[in-house]
Amino acid sequence: MKAKKRVVTYGKGVPPSRGAASSPAPKTHRTPTVRTIRSAIVEPRSAPPPRPASSAARPVGQPVAGPARSAVDLSVDLGRGLVLRNPILVASGTFGYGVEYADVVDIQRIGAICCKGTTLRPRQGNRPPRVTETPGGMLNSIGLQNPGVDAVLERYATQWAGWQVPVIVNVAGESIEDYVGVVRKLDLVPGIAGVELNISCPNVGKGGLQFAIDQEAAAAVTRAVRRATELPLIVKLSPNVADIRPIAAAIAAAGADALSAVNTLSGMALRADRSGPFLGNTYGGLSGPAIKPVALRIVYEVAQVVDIPVIAIGGVTGLDDVLDYLAAGAVAVQVGTAIFADPTLPVRLVDQLATECGRRGLASYELLIGTALPTRPNAASSKGVEYRP
Amino acid sequence: MQLVDAELQESRQVLPGQWLQQYHAPALAVSARAGQFVHLRTGDWSGLVLRRPFTINTADPATGAISLHFREVGRGTAWLSRLRPGERIDMLGPLGQGFQVDSRSRHLLLVAGGLGIADLRLLVDEALRDGRQVVLLYGCRDASEVYPSSLLPDEVEYLVATDDGSVGHRGFVTDLVLDYEAWADQAFACGPLPMLRTLAGLVAGRKGRLGVATLGRKRGGGRSVPPGSPAARKKAFLQVAMEQNMGCAVGACLGCVIWGVNGPQRVCREGPVFAFDEIDWDATAGAATHKR
Repeated sequence: MKAKKRVVTYGKGVPPSRGAASSPAPKTHRTPTVRTIRSAIVEPRSAPPPRPASSAARPVGQPVAGPARSAVDLSVDLGRGLVLRNPILVASGTFGYGVEYADVVDIQRIGAICCKGTTLRPRQGNRPPRVTETPGGMLNSIGLQNPGVDAVLERYATQWAGWQVPVIVNVAGESIEDYVGVVRKLDLVPGIAGVELNISCPNVGKGGLQFAIDQEAAAAVTRAVRRATELPLIVKLSPNVADIRPIAAAIAAAGADALSAVNTLSGMALRADRSGPFLGNTYGGLSGPAIKPVALRIVYEVAQVVDIPVIAIGGVTGLDDVLDYLAAGAVAVQVGTAIFADPTLPVRLVDQLATECGRRGLASYELLIGTALPTRPNAASSKGVEYRP
Repeated sequence: MQLVDAELQESRQVLPGQWLQQYHAPALAVSARAGQFVHLRTGDWSGLVLRRPFTINTADPATGAISLHFREVGRGTAWLSRLRPGERIDMLGPLGQGFQVDSRSRHLLLVAGGLGIADLRLLVDEALRDGRQVVLLYGCRDASEVYPSSLLPDEVEYLVATDDGSVGHRGFVTDLVLDYEAWADQAFACGPLPMLRTLAGLVAGRKGRLGVATLGRKRGGGRSVPPGSPAARKKAFLQVAMEQNMGCAVGACLGCVIWGVNGPQRVCREGPVFAFDEIDWDATAGAATHKR
């Protein structure tokens, strides 16, 4: 039985039946966490020392007073006090700063918003054209256009502080100093719920991507940012690597609170007349349903080598995709490209996930997590995909 | 901006490969302004992940109907052209900044290249409703693509230029502009990038050619207005509607930018209508879009 392989641990003093009782008020950082027993083939890695819950951690995503939408517990703890009301996030770059879609979507019902990639100084981004549709997906090469961290904070932080939905700032840079500089400015600013470290943007010329493909560099930038802030720290992984597992493990060991996987796949398109590359930047990042199998594989691999929460990103267009990623070991998902076609999708997924849990008689969606992870040691699937040398 | 479930009422091919579709969407018909657009969601069967932006061709608040005029260029528009009356479609709109007509403008010069007419068609209606005179210059390849005058109100003065001379002036539509630049109070254009760029060049030299004619008209009283604001666009003689591949259409993804003199400008949010002097024409032409 697969279920026997999973050990559900609860925070102290919280009875297992708590989820059904649906009294949101006393909920704090103590939510049940599901740990999967790792298969024996994975080299043992010293688990990151348990960090004491920081007193500086703000009550992010604090449950709101008001009628509970359902009796199912959808809350998820991403570490360091970042507790989301539900595991449906919106991916960086697809939702702007949260204000753009406010006319047509009840954004406060989303689990969390990852804002557009933010850098130390303003960036104009790449030359157009920047986006094009591809079969089952799209290519983008925005090039991290943003007004810089100071302008972002000035324009949006006050609004964010008044929102129920936590805002996770996606941070990008070209050097460790850049990342640390941005994060220092974000630290202790009201309205910033956490940091997502974009070490994997394929669309910037120098530096950016190197952090994601080299485990030493990835660990170094994670460690530096970890030292610079008490904010919950999520690191976004790149799929453009040969083997993600040592990189993920190194980032986790360096102090990340959670991982998100994956960023876009590097790709390109040609002009209709084939006279050259279509995108102004030549290369772009592929997203959308086309990359879901790749992202699923990476989530599945990463979930087996780290103990910290994994957030899945890649081609989520419906409840089935959410359930797939949860089964592969993710504790939450980010919706990205699908928002462009269907802005209301994230909010609907929250409802659908609750309904699905209710239909299966689950008090918490966490029982859906990791059900597809390998149960046998030495399973072929735990060794990585077969075509690797 | 809202999400609307619009019902197709009528669909017909007005030119080879070009369709005119009328949808029942009262919320859009009431709020749409000339130059704004809607973002359509295509059917799921096709595996298309992005919406398609279409300018609002006409809007009738009385009947709640809006119309779209498009050319079949790819799978999304092919799907759209096969919709049957009664079928419903998901529209996000109205989006973007429309044309800014100065309340004192009496004479409007409209310049359309090919399908660019779709962006200007609603402006024709609005201008005539407000009692302005409209000259529409239309350029296309040959006689088979000429926009039918039956689709235009009678009050419009309508001139055609074709590349091969099969109808009207032989040559570019921009050749006709000089005849009207002194007459016009404001000009509005939509069409291929080379056409818009030529127009912008013409307009940049207009004051010099007209000389004293501009001296008596101090629009805005010399007050400085921030570039890109409606007031600044009203002051600029020429406004152009731009196009670009689009992602979200609400300003979130930064995918649809064109290059302006002050850096990247989102076509969906700052645009699609810009004053001609807001755009860096060299950079924009260098990164010309190629429709797929």
